[in-house]
Amino acid sequence: MIAVERLSKSYDDVQRGRFVAVDEVSFSVRPGEIFGLLGPNGAGKTTVLRILSTVLRPTAGTAKVLGYDVTTQGAMVRRLIGFVSNNTAIYDRMTAAEIVHFFGRLHGMQGSLLRDRSEALFQQLRMEDFRDVPCAKLSTGMKQKVSIARALIHDPPVLVFDEATLGLDVLVARSLLELIRQLRDAGKCIIFSTHIMREVERLCDSIAVMHQGRILDIGSLEQLRSRHAEEDFEELFFGLLSRPLPIPVGSP
Amino acid sequence: MMTHQDDSQRPRWSAVQLVYLREMRDQLRDRRTLFTIVVLPIILYPLLGSLLMQIAQFARPQGSSICLIGELPAADQLPLVDSSGNVLRQYSGSDQPLRITFHKPPLDRPAAEVEANAKEWIFSGVVHAVGLIAPAGHDRSEVQIKVLFSSGSDESRIAGERLASVLKGWERDFAHLQLAAQGMDIGVLQPLAMEGVDIAPPQAGGASFWSKLLPFVMLVWALTGAFYPAVDLVAGEKERGTLETLLSSPALRSEIVIGKWAAVTTFSIATSVLNVLSMLLTGSLVTRHLFASDATSAAVGLPTFSSLLWLWVALVPLAALFSALALAVATLARSSKEGQYYLMPLMMMGLPLVLFPMMPGIELNAGTSLIPVSGMFLLARTLIEGHYLLALTHLPLVVMITSIALYLATRWAARQFEDEAVLFRGSDQWTLTDWVRHVHRDRFDEPTVLQSLGCAAVILIGLFFARLVVHQAPQNFGQLTKLVILPQLGLILAPALLMSCMLTRSLRQSLNLRLPAGGAMGCALILGVSLHPTYVALSHMIRGFYPLSSEVQAALVPFEQLVNSAPLWMAIFVLAIVPAVCEELAFRGFVFTGLRQNDGGLRAIVGTAALFALSHAVFQQSVAALFMGLLLGWVTLRTGSLLPALMIHASNNALSLSLGRGESSSPLLTTYVLESTELGMSYQEGWTLFTAALSLCCLFYLSRGQLVSQRAAKSLASTSIPALQNIKTLT
Repeated sequence: MIAVERLSKSYDDVQRGRFVAVDEVSFSVRPGEIFGLLGPNGAGKTTVLRILSTVLRPTAGTAKVLGYDVTTQGAMVRRLIGFVSNNTAIYDRMTAAEIVHFFGRLHGMQGSLLRDRSEALFQQLRMEDFRDVPCAKLSTGMKQKVSIARALIHDPPVLVFDEATLGLDVLVARSLLELIRQLRDAGKCIIFSTHIMREVERLCDSIAVMHQGRILDIGSLEQLRSRHAEEDFEELFFGLLSRPLPIPVGSP
Repeated sequence: MMTHQDDSQRPRWSAVQLVYLREMRDQLRDRRTLFTIVVLPIILYPLLGSLLMQIAQFARPQGSSICLIGELPAADQLPLVDSSGNVLRQYSGSDQPLRITFHKPPLDRPAAEVEANAKEWIFSGVVHAVGLIAPAGHDRSEVQIKVLFSSGSDESRIAGERLASVLKGWERDFAHLQLAAQGMDIGVLQPLAMEGVDIAPPQAGGASFWSKLLPFVMLVWALTGAFYPAVDLVAGEKERGTLETLLSSPALRSEIVIGKWAAVTTFSIATSVLNVLSMLLTGSLVTRHLFASDATSAAVGLPTFSSLLWLWVALVPLAALFSALALAVATLARSSKEGQYYLMPLMMMGLPLVLFPMMPGIELNAGTSLIPVSGMFLLARTLIEGHYLLALTHLPLVVMITSIALYLATRWAARQFEDEAVLFRGSDQWTLTDWVRHVHRDRFDEPTVLQSLGCAAVILIGLFFARLVVHQAPQNFGQLTKLVILPQLGLILAPALLMSCMLTRSLRQSLNLRLPAGGAMGCALILGVSLHPTYVALSHMIRGFYPLSSEVQAALVPFEQLVNSAPLWMAIFVLAIVPAVCEELAFRGFVFTGLRQNDGGLRAIVGTAALFALSHAVFQQSVAALFMGLLLGWVTLRTGSLLPALMIHASNNALSLSLGRGESSSPLLTTYVLESTELGMSYQEGWTLFTAALSLCCLFYLSRGQLVSQRAAKSLASTSIPALQNIKTLT
């Protein structure tokens, strides 16, 4: 459903020169699967997800969502995904309901369809109490709920969560993870990026460990454990990060 | 800069409307925006008005303190002041009392000492002006009066003028008295009785007052009113992190840009209209109050409804233009705070265009209607003044210029929105050393857009100062050669070459030095000759439209004589080949290659032509150069090489020189090609038409054929610079 092949992204940086943020990354995600993208800050996770959400364009390689290419069919791709990221904030001067309705209308939803869907979401996410409060007055957890409602309003088959639990308290984070599990069970194709290992361990069906723009290893938790003969996931992760970087395929 | 392919889809009206309404609601909920747009104009002008009235009380003339030293003749028959010491009404010319004190110095005091004392009084502010009266003596018949004042102080200057005017009036009566004593009439001395009568109806006076002031106020507020919402709508959204939310929604970038642009335009218009209305209301009330007894109040009444209507017509396109510019500039900023810094440069560029039409004597004509913003301003003013025919004559040109400016500004804003490098600029600390290292380390085969614009700026600034420095006409051809070749080599070629060497990796590619396909070179050879008659006709047309001023014409005569005195081959080398090579390497070379990056074909053609035109000193030359530049740019784009343009440029110059000699040895030429006209040697009409048709054939061939040679195509494909964020990895 999501197919990423040899995706690269580099850009000009005054200090570092030509900086390779993502280097030949390949992976695929099926419906009903949670794909974890694990890596330290600056590993290139957000860049990969920004390319998937068509906000950035890749320098090389391809990424397809349900067969639609992110570079050439961006508008179609944006209809199919719900993108929740640290960088996708909500409007302070609008209420939760206004934001959800605005994005629903941008997705072409109208009338009772939009009303019913948003009411259902408000109920599911327990947002009824603050649906008409301007977002500037909401707590971080409430804001995150608005973001999620905004991303789910058009019932997209693909969902991307980029560091979605950042800054949330334990209770809210826990209920978010529960929600993601429910979405997976409903057959959604989910990418979940984080730098918190416990979340990946508990949630993801398959995991890619990213560092300095490259995927160091990819597989289910069991596959990774057996491949590296290491039961403790944290040790496994540090072991991977401390190894010298492999030379990418196709390099001179 | 890159474009998202799906953004080539047509923007949907419904999505634009959604974005627009959201932005409007968002802004209307922002206290700062509401304050600037609605509250500020409502309270600002009444406050200013009341302050003005307070100040006016102090500013009312305090009365000048004037002293006359000495005695006027016939003071008993012809008094200057009444019993209380005030100047008589018929001399002061106003109801306001003007006091003059008389002072009689002791007879034995020397005149020089008296004068020194008087000066001291004025400097120390005891009196504002002094009249020194020296009575008629045995050596002269008239009474001498010296009016002392200091132009350093406004009060003293005014007092001096008033004293002079009072004495003038008294002098007339004194002459009358003396003539009457001899039985003559004053009419002998004043055979003319003059009176100035203003025949303009009171409304026209008001119109001329408002027609200058209102467009100015309107445009300044339109610019300000566009900027703050634009900064909030783009830089503010970047800062708050909501821009990415919007970009990852199904809205196309074009829909987002149009929606935001429309919202900014709405606020720009609203700010402007509210400010103008509030100012009008307060202004007319205040003037009515201040000049209640004066005739001025009629002249500064409310403007007519039709003038407000014309203002509105001019405001809409200009507000749209300012909004597009503000949006594009605001996109560059990472945060609202950074956005505020960009207001000043935008204002600095916008204000001269708004101030220029306010200058005395500036009217709507073929020249001024070419200036963006100013042209529209003058058009509105002409309409307010009721000169409809004049306005109609220049309407097409003004509309065309405004439309082009609007198109370019909106296109710029849209492209900014598609540029990742602009939208997702990091907030790294910028240091000069890092930047210099970066410019050298990360250079490409060809220059970037910014580098090519920098090169053009260096060239234009250099030429500007060079023209200021040279103010002596050349005396002989040697001096002329120096005057032409030095700037060409030092100010045009050198910057382009230096920048190519320092900022790019390939001199050949950054200067477009590729071999074109054979056919293209052949076409260029024919075009070099066949285009010239059309170019001459165009130049004549431009001179008909914008006649050369007599000073320019006079300045050109010795220049032409010098050129004609030199051997033709030498003149061609100095004035045709050298400029063609230098200018083409710089403009169709470095500047063009930079502007062409990232599919900027149109930008390269138009931008290079405009900069090339600006590099010419005489306006009429610039217009001709603009058209020539457009053509040369197109040829360069089509052939991927500088050489055809260079060929056309050089032969065009050379033919102009040969034609200027006005001599022709071959009878064949005089029969079919050339003719003598009042503007000098020119082409016959038939020949011009024939060559124009030939040129069209060549241009048609160039527009069709595969012109880029295989090798050139390869190097073109391998070197086009990806957008900043989109650099191919060196794997």
